Amino acid sequence: MKGKAVPHLIGVFPLGMMSLFFLAPLAFMVMVSFYERDPLGFFNEAFVWDNYAKFFSSFYYTISLRSLWSASLGAVLVVLLAFPAMYIIVDMARRWQLFWVILLLSLMCLSEVIIGFAWLILFSENSGIPKFMGWIGVWENPRSLSPSFGAMMVGYVTLGFSLVALMFLPQLARRDRSIEEAALTLGTPPMQVFSKVILPNFKAGIVSALVTMFVYFLGVFVMPTMLGRPQDWNMTVIITDKAVGDANMPLGAALSVIMLIFTLFIIGALTYASRNKDKGALT
Amino acid sequence: MNSARKNIFAVGFALASVSAVSAEEITVSAWGGFFEETLKTVIYPGFTEETGIEVRSIAQPADQAWLTQLTNAARAKQAPADLSLVADEVFIRGQSIGLWANLDAADIPNTATLLDGFTKVSDEGNLNAVGALSWFTTFVTNTDAVSDAPASWADLWERDWDGKLGLTSNSNSGLIEATALTFFDGYETMQTREGLEKIIAKIAELKPQVQLWYRDEGQFQQSLEAGELAGGLYYHDVTMLSAADGRPVTSTFPKEGGILGDAYWIVPRDSKNIDAAEQFINYMIRPDIQAKLVRNLGVAPVAKRDAMDLSDEEFAAVSSTGTPIRNQTEVHLREGDWLSDKYLEMISR
Repeated sequence: MKGKAVPHLIGVFPLGMMSLFFLAPLAFMVMVSFYERDPLGFFNEAFVWDNYAKFFSSFYYTISLRSLWSASLGAVLVVLLAFPAMYIIVDMARRWQLFWVILLLSLMCLSEVIIGFAWLILFSENSGIPKFMGWIGVWENPRSLSPSFGAMMVGYVTLGFSLVALMFLPQLARRDRSIEEAALTLGTPPMQVFSKVILPNFKAGIVSALVTMFVYFLGVFVMPTMLGRPQDWNMTVIITDKAVGDANMPLGAALSVIMLIFTLFIIGALTYASRNKDKGALT
Repeated sequence: MNSARKNIFAVGFALASVSAVSAEEITVSAWGGFFEETLKTVIYPGFTEETGIEVRSIAQPADQAWLTQLTNAARAKQAPADLSLVADEVFIRGQSIGLWANLDAADIPNTATLLDGFTKVSDEGNLNAVGALSWFTTFVTNTDAVSDAPASWADLWERDWDGKLGLTSNSNSGLIEATALTFFDGYETMQTREGLEKIIAKIAELKPQVQLWYRDEGQFQQSLEAGELAGGLYYHDVTMLSAADGRPVTSTFPKEGGILGDAYWIVPRDSKNIDAAEQFINYMIRPDIQAKLVRNLGVAPVAKRDAMDLSDEEFAAVSSTGTPIRNQTEVHLREGDWLSDKYLEMISR
């Protein structure tokens, strides 16, 4: 009894902090989302649905679909690239493994702004990839590659790559290799070992990485504004514009609440779907 | 006992020195970057020399973001700065919710040499703001990419820019006003939503030419200097300073006029140093200091022309003789939410 009480007591502190510093602002946000906008000033305390009603205009609706699309595409791309990369890295000699892990860790130290600027320079007509391609004669009239949707995706992938790769590191390094060896000895071609044996084994991990990256990319601000065109700006950018730029806190709050509900719904659906199938496989 | 008394003494001493310092120091905020740095290094030291009041200079973010911070601070009875440089729209918004302190006009005698309209008095007759400086937004181009300077705002539409224009992503840059004057019945067209929609549709025609809808001014300037962009809408003062540094950029006043914006000094309501702030404003609007601003920052003055010792050449470098285009602040305030949504919808479609 006593042995359990101490860890619980320790746990009370972070839990209390969470409720105080995370849930309280969240509750305040929900409250503000019902306030009335005062065009000249700030907001008046009231209970109105106007801010939510605004979301259902075609404009905000399109923006939110766009955010969901870019976040899911980014998540799929980054997992698609990081998982095989880590699969190769864990099979390397220890020294090289260490090299890559340190490189990935140091990539995580870079802020979003630095990565954005680096790509901005690399994509620019005068000093980056286009200039180089013009110089070697592949591209006759080189143009700046940003801002564009592709540039923004490259930014997303750079941002999430090391995170996802390091998420897979312990799982891939400690996996039971005898299963793959068994499949190989039974005559399965190597490509099929990857798709039929390894991938299914890591399904849970892959799904959780996808969900994490999806939520992460929904909230990015710098990449869309730096590398994307206005038609690539996501809901986070629009919320910032409304709340900070136009001082329309109630609308910003309402849009945030809607995005939160969207996110919770999608995470819920994904986890539910993957858990259901796992159960089916067990029985 | 002894040590307790010592502590009380120490606390009392600390308090005394804090109040002595705060009476001798004011915090002044201005738009971050080149602007704030030049004010801090070139203009403020003269004020400290004359009055003995130290100036702590801080950078403030873009207009609306700063207003949001000031509003939040006022709710907590705080003043992030004793003085602040704000644009017309921010001033009006702040005034409507009582954010600004009332100033004593008798303490700011130099208002006598100001141009008309640069002392802002509330409905109750209180002085709330004094003009600080004006600035022009003009048609800027990269001289390597564009050999002949544009003559009219219509050149935005009529010339082939090779898809390399840069325009602001917000609706109150003055582009709406310039479009209204160039293609429609002027400011009159902006009075109705139908008129504004027509103007926005006209601006939408530019979309294939626009590479960058900028929200970060630094990004625009860098791209223009590097030749990534061939032209666009930008500040006259910064562009000319950059041209003087040898960069291949230039700023042109189109025949319809440059877009003129005004900045005012305001004192947040909860400032504790209103007297020192008034002295500061009085110093900043003095004709010789206005002339110094013109020479160092390249902004347009708010003092009367004949009160300053500026040569014709110096004056022509920062201003133009034609009628300037004025931001229609009351339209932007009245239609604010609707207009910014429409504009954002247009550029992001």
